[in-house]
Amino acid sequence: MTQADLDRDDVQLAAAGDHDAFERLYRRHVARVTSLARWLLDAGEADDAVQEVFIRVWQKLHTFAGQSAFGTWLHRVAVNLLLRRRQSLGISRRRQVNDEIPVLAAAGPPERPDLRVAIERAVDRLPAGAREVFVLHDMEGYKHDEIAEMLAVDPGTSRSQLHRARLLLRQQLAT
Amino acid sequence: MSDRFTEQLSPYIDGELDDLSRARLESHLAECLDCTRTLAELRAIVAAAPEYQGREPSTDLWPLIESRLGEPEVLPLNTNRPSALPPSRPPSLSRHRFGWRELIAASILMAVAGGGSVWFAVSRGGTEVETAAVSPPPPDSTAIGSTVGFAEQEFDLAVRDLEQVLDAGRDRLDSATVRTIEQSLVRIDAAIAEARAAIQRDPSSSYLNRQIAANMRRKLNLLRVATQAIAART
Repeated sequence: MTQADLDRDDVQLAAAGDHDAFERLYRRHVARVTSLARWLLDAGEADDAVQEVFIRVWQKLHTFAGQSAFGTWLHRVAVNLLLRRRQSLGISRRRQVNDEIPVLAAAGPPERPDLRVAIERAVDRLPAGAREVFVLHDMEGYKHDEIAEMLAVDPGTSRSQLHRARLLLRQQLAT
Repeated sequence: MSDRFTEQLSPYIDGELDDLSRARLESHLAECLDCTRTLAELRAIVAAAPEYQGREPSTDLWPLIESRLGEPEVLPLNTNRPSALPPSRPPSLSRHRFGWRELIAASILMAVAGGGSVWFAVSRGGTEVETAAVSPPPPDSTAIGSTVGFAEQEFDLAVRDLEQVLDAGRDRLDSATVRTIEQSLVRIDAAIAEARAAIQRDPSSSYLNRQIAANMRRKLNLLRVATQAIAART
């Protein structure tokens, strides 16, 4: 039985009010949602945001039509909620759109215990707009049209932010 | 290295260049070591990015999530603006032993908290769900109005006492759990405060009443779960 099969069965049970089924869904998907929250929010906000995501999913389970995989639907709910929370927390994209210098200046020499940690730190230092697009495109697999819709920007802006993010990461890792 | 070609490296990696642009870029790459190296480094970053998926939360969030599954859907009220947040909760109070007195108090308060549910039920107005938590009662509903007023006082007392139980027993919970609880309480308090401020401008808003009622119940549920967790560790 695949994860999609397990999800489908548990979604049906959870939509009927079965907490145990919803806990199974939570445990299968919490790591990915937490990862996304950690990338898009500060560490102190991530856990609370993850709670909100799963509460929202529980409340909206009856709207899940099953046309896509549950994980895909959950992920979209999570992205939308996390982006709104970013806005409400004042993590402004506009504020940093033209603000490349501080990022490079703040980069400092990477300690590089390994490449993964180095990249994680580098992503954390990206300007907000570039970071959102990099996380959504390169890490989460969304297309530019989808990202543009989520962020309410032009697809061309999404493309340019992605390129900028990759170049900044390259510069930071080369320092 | 050419800026014009550098700008095309990301679209090239993503397969978004048209045939002509791709052919020109590949021709340039055949002669430009800088661009070739940049392309290789960008490809390495893109290839590495999907590996960074999947992190467990700092603590098991399921108990807190499950405690909130009964909540009605609450639409956001811009509750996260820093300016809307009340002052941080006070630091941990005295770390005295959690004894029978507190356990009994907690048990009583659980019953009061159960009464809170009655309050929300009593305060329903007609077909509305969870209305009139704090709005003035209608003139012809003095019986319900007095119940609401009494229940609101009971709610405040229950919350205050549960918070004291939580403060007294918080050292029995792990720090990550305490932090999560405190962050949630701050957010709930902010939502309540914002809705209360808004309802001063629009006292007849059933939407705002529902917001207040839902967030009060959410706070009560959270405190109940927290004190139950403390009691379980005693």
